[in-house]
Amino acid sequence: MSDTETEFKSVITPPPGDQIVLETRKLNFFYGTHQSLFDVSIPVKRNGITALIGPSGCGKSTLLRTMNRMYDLYPGQRAEGEILIDGENIVGSKVDVTALRAKVGMVFQKPTPFPMSIYDNVAFGVKLYHKKSKSEMDEVVETSLRRAALWDEVKDKLNKSGLSLSGGQQQRLCVARGIAVQPEILLLDEPASALDPVSTAKLEDTLEELKRDITIIIVTHNLQQAARLSDYTGFMYLGKLIEFGPTETLFVNPKCEKTSDYIGGRFG
Amino acid sequence: MSLQSARQSSFLARFLADPADPIFRSLAFAAATMLLVTLGGLIIALIIGGWPALSKFGLSFLFTNSWNPVTEVYGAAGPIVGTLITALLSLAIALPIAVCVSVFLTQYCPKVIAQPISTAIELLAGIPSIVYGMWGLFVFAPWFAKTVQLPILTNLDPESFWGKLLSGVPNGANIFTASIVLAIMILPYMAAVFRELFRSIPPHVREAAFGLGCTSFEVVGSVLIPYVKKGMIGVVMLGFGRALGETMAVTFIIGNSHRFPDSLFASGSTLASTIANEFNEAQGLHLASLIGLGLVLFLITFIVLAIARTLLSSQRY
Repeated sequence: MSDTETEFKSVITPPPGDQIVLETRKLNFFYGTHQSLFDVSIPVKRNGITALIGPSGCGKSTLLRTMNRMYDLYPGQRAEGEILIDGENIVGSKVDVTALRAKVGMVFQKPTPFPMSIYDNVAFGVKLYHKKSKSEMDEVVETSLRRAALWDEVKDKLNKSGLSLSGGQQQRLCVARGIAVQPEILLLDEPASALDPVSTAKLEDTLEELKRDITIIIVTHNLQQAARLSDYTGFMYLGKLIEFGPTETLFVNPKCEKTSDYIGGRFG
Repeated sequence: MSLQSARQSSFLARFLADPADPIFRSLAFAAATMLLVTLGGLIIALIIGGWPALSKFGLSFLFTNSWNPVTEVYGAAGPIVGTLITALLSLAIALPIAVCVSVFLTQYCPKVIAQPISTAIELLAGIPSIVYGMWGLFVFAPWFAKTVQLPILTNLDPESFWGKLLSGVPNGANIFTASIVLAIMILPYMAAVFRELFRSIPPHVREAAFGLGCTSFEVVGSVLIPYVKKGMIGVVMLGFGRALGETMAVTFIIGNSHRFPDSLFASGSTLASTIANEFNEAQGLHLASLIGLGLVLFLITFIVLAIARTLLSSQRY
């Protein structure tokens, strides 16, 4: 590898300024002494789907996990720089992390239903913040499950364990649980990597549906998925954001050589 | 050749070609059978040995409280109640502490401290019970008598509810101190297994709970503990079983009186401590009654196991 190849110039084509809901500025991230994000500045469009792609270990999951301060759970991990959500910096000790996480939901690679009924799984997060009557809660649960395209499959067995569902259903249950608390932003960390094609398609339909009023950021290994689903795409490599722009431009007419190599399948 | 004979001959052929597999299989079968035979033999021996007492006293053996080698009248109510109270009390003390210790170790504790604490727990679990008993008798009981029992005796109205509950000879050898020593004994075991249970929870589940905006307390209470509830029930039952049958430490400190325990600070006895104390000199009906106690202890343990099974199968998640 020559020296010119290790130095990348990043090309960022941001969405219009008034549409940006979340933005990182010069974000650096450290696992102990090991730095895994370098000056990442990514603008995320409101009520759209932003995809993060890149080879394994490029830092895309790490970037996602900074956006709800998930790294706080692990001593030794820290972020430097700024992450602005609605103009407010969430990096720093003054931030109310539980309130932040209610605003920025997350769905993981593996389905994570809690050991309780389907109904209680969806109601769980809502109960943390609001006292609701039974009928109000019923409505929240039904709406969330409908929006996650799971209602028809589970409406007759809401009292069954969440763990009794299939993998794809469990993942959509986690989406329903995440959107029940009405987050502004939903982070998805390779949500379809453990799912079969049919479940994946259903999940993607769900996301298309949700993006009307939720900002979605999705990390994916699946380039087709990113191309199909997202409005904007960021390509990451070795902890840097190499290229960011409208998905169509990035896939059809990438400006960086590294990007075109990756989406052309020449490495990854 | 019919299918079956073909199969038989091939089985024989296989046996001749490679005898290791069938031999191992029969050895494994024999080992499993031995277990059942031993259990059955034990029950039969207990019934035969205890029969003179059981046939003489019938069900009143369980429900009367009298233990008199002179008049030869034996009833096990005192030791039975003593056993159940000490075991339940020790569980009530040890369970919350064990949960807290294991949650702290797996959720909050920096790695530097977690390792020494974990080692300490394992060491505590490995100390022989007689050492706990000696500590209880020579260190804990005198301290307890002086700093807890005496002030209570002098300050509480003996006719009040608390006065009655906490009355007793101030020598520290009583049901309550025995329960505390028992709690200290089952605590490290429960904490160690709880820790393993919490460690077995996938990190994603914890992150998902935090990701919804839960506080640490909500994550532990509403997600992590329910996640390992089944395992915890099993551990609690095993700890309870150990507390029921623990002999030496309890014998040292419970006071060994056959009175029916009428207060928390009264001396009492358990099934196991009674057997350990009197086996040496007993004969005839006395010996049969002691064996009868063994049978009762066996039955109680069996009932506890049955309850554990029922609880486990009724858990839906």
